[in-house]
Amino acid sequence: MDQAAVLDHQFVAAAYCVTWAIQLSYLLWLGLKWRAQKRNAGSSPRNSH
Amino acid sequence: MKKTFILLYAALTAALMVWGFYQAIYVAPDDALQGYVFRIIYYHVPSASVAFLFFAVSLLGSIGYLAWRRSRPEWAQISDAWALAGAEVGVVFCSVVLTTGPLWGRRAWGIWWTWDARLTTTLVLWLIYVSYLLLRRFAAGPQVQTYAAVLGIFGAIDVPIVYMSNRWWRTQHPAPVFGGSEGSGMAPSMAHVLLWNMLAWLCWGLLILVLRYQVERKRQQITEKEALDALQAHI
Repeated sequence: MDQAAVLDHQFVAAAYCVTWAIQLSYLLWLGLKWRAQKRNAGSSPRNSH
Repeated sequence: MKKTFILLYAALTAALMVWGFYQAIYVAPDDALQGYVFRIIYYHVPSASVAFLFFAVSLLGSIGYLAWRRSRPEWAQISDAWALAGAEVGVVFCSVVLTTGPLWGRRAWGIWWTWDARLTTTLVLWLIYVSYLLLRRFAAGPQVQTYAAVLGIFGAIDVPIVYMSNRWWRTQHPAPVFGGSEGSGMAPSMAHVLLWNMLAWLCWGLLILVLRYQVERKRQQITEKEALDALQAHI
């Protein structure tokens, strides 16, 4: 494989990895937010009435 | 029943993502001019399309909030939750566009960035919706949702400008592939790969959009309940 083809592969791999990193980071953040919200709602003394 | 549906939908989305990836890397041919690096388009273009769609969701939610905030408070809160979810997930997809684009540009043009109309208007779009999210996160007071709705409507005006930018002005960005001038288009062997990836990213986007909507609705309900409890404690 020549130098240009290797670079092409690296740039495509970088673009795909960055895409997934952004999407999965957001999903993780959303999951943590949802879990924290559920925990807070469950532990709130007002909810025990 | 609801849980089963969500699991089935998530499994279908995952299958589509895998299929789209396989098509993009192993099935689609190299571009005659750009070679292998052209494959970035299979993530870049669907992300842009989904971002535009979700900014439109945010626009409708913002209009709904302004229209119903006095007459139908419950509908207004639902609209506001959709507006926030659309803006936030739209920013996620727009961030993908603004990172994959320069990666492609570095190989195709030899530069990471240029202040051409398509790139600049997309950056402005991203900045408007980031400021929308910052406004919602840090501003306080009863008018925040109204200010955010107005900003959401103004932000959406940039969407058609981004879409038309490489039709209206001569740009460094490639000419539109679909709906462009005569002679634009894509080889069927590439077009079907792009469409598979569009479908996959749309399904993924809808999944996280609905999740974000549910989280926001729950937050609204908790805030409302706390406010009611506080009022009752005073009486």
